Amino acid sequence: MIATINLSAGYRGLPVVGGVNISLRGGEFVAVIGPNAAGKTTLLKTLASLLKPLSGVVYLDGVDSARRGARETARLVGVVLTEQPRHLQLTVLEVVALGRYPYTNPLDRLSEKDRREVLRALRDMGIEDLAERRFGELSDGQRQKVMLARALAQEPRVLILDEPVTFLDPKARLEVLAEIKRVCIERGITVVASLHEVELALRMADRLIVVADGKVKTYDSPEEFVELGGPSILYGLGLGVKFSAETMALEFSRTNEGPRVFVIAGGGSGALVYRMLARLGYQFSTGVLHRGDIDYHVACMLGGRIVAERAFHPIGPESAQRALQEALSCAAAIYTSPEIGPLNLENQILAETVALQGPPLIILGNAEFQGAFASVESLSELSETLKKLLKNGEEAKQAAPTAE
Amino acid sequence: MESRLEARHVVAGARWASRRRFTLLLLSLPIPPLFTASIVFGSYAISPLEALAALVGTGEADATIIVQSIRLPRALAAMLGGACLGVSGAILQALFRNPLADPYILGVSAGSTLFIALAMLTGATLGLWSPTNPFSLYTAAFAGALLVVILMVVLSGIVRLTSTILIAGLMVSYLAYALTSIVQVFVDIERLRAFTYWVMGSFSGARWSILSPGLPILAVFLASTIVLHKPLNALLLGEEYAKSMGMSLRRVRMLIVAAAALPISVVTTIAGAVGFLGLSAPYIARQLTQTSNHQTIIPASALIGAALAMAADLLSRLAIRPIEIPVTAVTALFGAPLVIYLLLTGRGAHL
Repeated sequence: MIATINLSAGYRGLPVVGGVNISLRGGEFVAVIGPNAAGKTTLLKTLASLLKPLSGVVYLDGVDSARRGARETARLVGVVLTEQPRHLQLTVLEVVALGRYPYTNPLDRLSEKDRREVLRALRDMGIEDLAERRFGELSDGQRQKVMLARALAQEPRVLILDEPVTFLDPKARLEVLAEIKRVCIERGITVVASLHEVELALRMADRLIVVADGKVKTYDSPEEFVELGGPSILYGLGLGVKFSAETMALEFSRTNEGPRVFVIAGGGSGALVYRMLARLGYQFSTGVLHRGDIDYHVACMLGGRIVAERAFHPIGPESAQRALQEALSCAAAIYTSPEIGPLNLENQILAETVALQGPPLIILGNAEFQGAFASVESLSELSETLKKLLKNGEEAKQAAPTAE
Repeated sequence: MESRLEARHVVAGARWASRRRFTLLLLSLPIPPLFTASIVFGSYAISPLEALAALVGTGEADATIIVQSIRLPRALAAMLGGACLGVSGAILQALFRNPLADPYILGVSAGSTLFIALAMLTGATLGLWSPTNPFSLYTAAFAGALLVVILMVVLSGIVRLTSTILIAGLMVSYLAYALTSIVQVFVDIERLRAFTYWVMGSFSGARWSILSPGLPILAVFLASTIVLHKPLNALLLGEEYAKSMGMSLRRVRMLIVAAAALPISVVTTIAGAVGFLGLSAPYIARQLTQTSNHQTIIPASALIGAALAMAADLLSRLAIRPIEIPVTAVTALFGAPLVIYLLLTGRGAHL
């Protein structure tokens, strides 16, 4: 649908990206990612024929786009940019109808077919109820949907979107992207969208175009990008920021200095507890976790010390023993009430033992153990209890030497 | 579901179209009484009936001459001139994406004035053409207007700040008027008064001799604005969006520049530099209709411009009777405070 040969794009004769050779099929969702000011916008505008290529050729539907008039191009390519016109005294219907520009005559009369396409675009973006509202009164997310509907009314076969969701709140971001993806699959439209957030790109895209250092590299799938170590190259990661291939997200791992807390978890019951502990500045150990458990990945990313068992194996006596040793060396312990079954029965026994002989055990959830320090219902309650407990401990420790 | 929705939008569209027609009808209501008043009122008292008789040629001789050769052309000039100023103001505002754009403020009228003065001077001194030949005057006026609009388009590509463009326009005006005043020195004493009036902006000099080539141009221009609202509406979204929807930017820009310069040059040739109508007519149109859609704004600006021009022309000849004041003195009294208001409240920032 879109292909380039040795394309070089830039402004006023100065190339921003060069040597671009890409070839995109119909109906694909292609995300363009890269650091700020790397030339994503320049590349997109050149693909959309809004900028002339400095050299090389952009082929749209098999034809050199420099040889196509503005009107013919507009029937093939719809564009939505980051910035929206703000103070527009037009109704939503009027704005979307502007998308029929390449089809209407100079008198701008809408034909039967024009009206149908406008309605279809409104419906596809789910904004038919806004049709008579004023564009200027809408929320940012609604406005962006209107601009997208306007582009859809052009009946394009390619949509070029320059950071279409950057200025939207997180909910609107996902909503708008999901809408775009659904409509474009339905209509068989190729989408080329630059996205600020790599995590979103990895979740949405069929293919990836990475723009960095004036060069362009394509990956056939987000998985390929991750496997080839793309994220670290892209961001030059290090310094406490890691990319997790399992959660496809950037993670912030820090080295905390605070007291160490032991967490008995599994099956996802510990993930949020680890994040909370990391944020509060505590170190943590956890066990016994099965490899591949989501808790295992999160604990890994956050730099926790893990007592692990092989996946799908019952927890053996050796791991259980190590976990107990680890727990006994900690200042506090938390039991997150994971589901207990034949493979992790040892964790329940571990909790019983810790409650009786180990550091104070806080139970999150409805489990009960004799000798437990406290039982809490929610994470916020847990953080309060923990803070109180460990502060007293600190004070006691500090007070001890003077008493001697 | 689909057909119901469609029906709803068809109804909404029809309602919108009929509301638009109603608004335009309402805005055209003041024009007939103002036109009548323009013919009836003046230093020489003529009743409406006498005026009607004079128009069809059955009245007394004095009244017939006054109505047919002075008041009728003057009323027509004010009406069509005002309409054209309103429309060219709306076009310039869309072109510059700036509600403060106006042919007078941007120096387009001044450029026209200067070129007309130069044509008169060179015609008188070099004898290449008659200094009062309407065609040479119209041509010169159009060249002057075109030159300034293009200069302003280039400038607005370099500086984006609205107020800077306005100041540049004012400076162009000063420059043109300075040169015009030098030309004025060469005008003989009998014609000086008329020339001075014309430079300051007044419909009092509108005679058939100068009007006859100009009025058809204005009428044709007004009719042809029907093709302008499509590109102007697309430009509301910004140049890049307009281009992405298939607008050929260079061609449309040339069309718009010419469409803005042409009516101003005709009006300036007839009445000199008439100020602020191009600013206030679209502003009032937008306030009354609450839309930026040029399908409404262009005809509304024409109607409001026509009414304002005729009202201002009436005031200019009736305010201190029997002395006439230049029409721009009247329009500036209302227009200048409007500009200040728009600048101070920040409403001048967007269309």
